[in-house]
Amino acid sequence: MGLRLTVQVQLVLQALLRDPAREMYGLELSEETGLQPGTAYPILLRLEHEGWVTSRWEDVDPRAEKRPARRYYRLTAGGAVQASAALAGARRPKGVALRHLAEGDGVA
Amino acid sequence: MMPAIDPRYDARKKRARVAMFIGAGATVVSSALSGTRFSGWQWAPWVLGISLIIVFYAISMNSREGLRMRRGTSGTTGLGGRGRGAGDRPDGVAAYRWHGLVMVSRMMPGAAGRRWLAEAQSVLWEIADSRRAPAVRSYLLSGPRLAAVMWAHEALRWVRPGPRHPR
Repeated sequence: MGLRLTVQVQLVLQALLRDPAREMYGLELSEETGLQPGTAYPILLRLEHEGWVTSRWEDVDPRAEKRPARRYYRLTAGGAVQASAALAGARRPKGVALRHLAEGDGVA
Repeated sequence: MMPAIDPRYDARKKRARVAMFIGAGATVVSSALSGTRFSGWQWAPWVLGISLIIVFYAISMNSREGLRMRRGTSGTTGLGGRGRGAGDRPDGVAAYRWHGLVMVSRMMPGAAGRRWLAEAQSVLWEIADSRRAPAVRSYLLSGPRLAAVMWAHEALRWVRPGPRHPR
């Protein structure tokens, strides 16, 4: 099954591609993309199914940290190449679409 | 840190429940379609169907209670978020609409639901107060669709020939 490059998927890929080696967790990604976490999660899951993204649970003691463990996401080597190629070939989201996204679904 | 729960146990239990529910439903529907006047042994599917439904609920309630007891409700506040029992409800900020999230996570296949809930809890824990309500809403709105996709993936995994079902 191919990956449909919706505006939201493009935003997530752009955020991950800014520094492909860097791991990002859900809230961080949500803030970078302007998407709600509930919207970003299915996208990340789809990218993981496609093998573009890999994820892991943060290895911390929640009691010591006083917060739950985070789930970190990172582009795979192949995923970074595929994502760059896909974004280069994709239709750029228009400013209007991004504004609409930020107002309707984003963090504003 | 976290109580050890075998995800395969949960998955097997869920599949058994679904199979029993579908079986019972199919029995009831098929006998309803065959007519409402009972003669001979026509009452048998009804009795069987209703019995299965009762057994399904009894097992379901019993296993939920059992699982909760195995997880333990004291000392495990669900900070790691892997649990879905009522006792795993987090204290404080992330408790916002926790029950709704748990309900949605129960719609998903076992391990996938636990992961979704854990991630939601992790994000909601750290998110700013002003953004929490829309974030929860987004999880609740996207959850059912995600559950459908996950079950489709699960079904495909079982249907596809592979190492688990060599032909």
